[in-house]
Amino acid sequence: MKEMSRIVKTVTNFVYGFIIIFGFYIIAHGHLTPGGGFQGGAVVGSAFALLLISYGSLNSKKFLKKDILSLFEGFGLILFIVLGFSGLGITFFYNFLANSGGWFGNAAVIGVNPGNMNTGGVIPLMNIAVGLEVLSAFGVIVLTMASAAEFTKKKENS
Amino acid sequence: MSSFVEIIHISTLIMMIIAGFLAVIFKKLLPSIIALTVASLLLSLEFYILHAPDVAIAEAAIGAGLTMAIFIFAIRGTR
Amino acid sequence: MKKIIFGIAFIIFFSFLIVSAINMRTFGEPTYSEMDDYFIENAQSETGANNVVTSVVFDYRGFDTLGEATVLFTAVVGVVALFRGVKK
Repeated sequence: MKEMSRIVKTVTNFVYGFIIIFGFYIIAHGHLTPGGGFQGGAVVGSAFALLLISYGSLNSKKFLKKDILSLFEGFGLILFIVLGFSGLGITFFYNFLANSGGWFGNAAVIGVNPGNMNTGGVIPLMNIAVGLEVLSAFGVIVLTMASAAEFTKKKENS
Repeated sequence: MSSFVEIIHISTLIMMIIAGFLAVIFKKLLPSIIALTVASLLLSLEFYILHAPDVAIAEAAIGAGLTMAIFIFAIRGTR
Repeated sequence: MKKIIFGIAFIIFFSFLIVSAINMRTFGEPTYSEMDDYFIENAQSETGANNVVTSVVFDYRGFDTLGEATVLFTAVVGVVALFRGVKK
């Protein structure tokens, strides 16, 4: 796919870092503020789509690699399943870290409060796992479709 | 207070219907996709007014970002 | 003839939608609210997270989220298998 004009590329250079940081903020604060793994991963995936539209699929092969993204996707799904099986002493998907005093184990203040990052038990780890899986899944889908559009256009012209 | 929220509800829904109608009747493909994106973004605003910010974030990222990207890839590939 | 049949079907469907919209319950008042009251009362002390929606999605109904992640993984596998012949 041909790359777009200079205006679009300048605005993309200025903006895409902030979009990616906002997506990781939504993932990391999923147990305190609205959002979670799926929403934050979708925001980071839309930043990847912006890069692919403005730079074209050939030029963005340098910073978006399909092998690394699919590796992250499998890693996220395996981490999620392992966290689900870890609570199997009581039930499947039991929250074995909550209110235990260890990692993410502080008890939350009951009522309306500004929030503490060190609470939530296994929920922040599951947020990170699902967010990693969703962002690399959307990245792989968008990258594969952009390469396929480029390929069909080149084939019709020749 | 209540009447103000209802005015925002009704105007958002009317603009959504207008944007969906424009997405059907446009002849060119790129303005039609942009009208569909405007309808999806107004749906995200409606979810936010109805006190569902989770669904609003997901709708704004997927319906307005990734769907438009995939449609633009399809247009560039077939032109 | 075809237009008359389509018009009658459209009017019947539209009247069903109007009647169900008139009989709709007011917003924010469910009929049975025992489950919602339990979540709002106990979610913060049981899971330790402030966000009740996330604690429902990842703790109480974690099996549903596992199915959703598996659906997304299957979608990615389908897309990559569909475009596997594309080189560069």
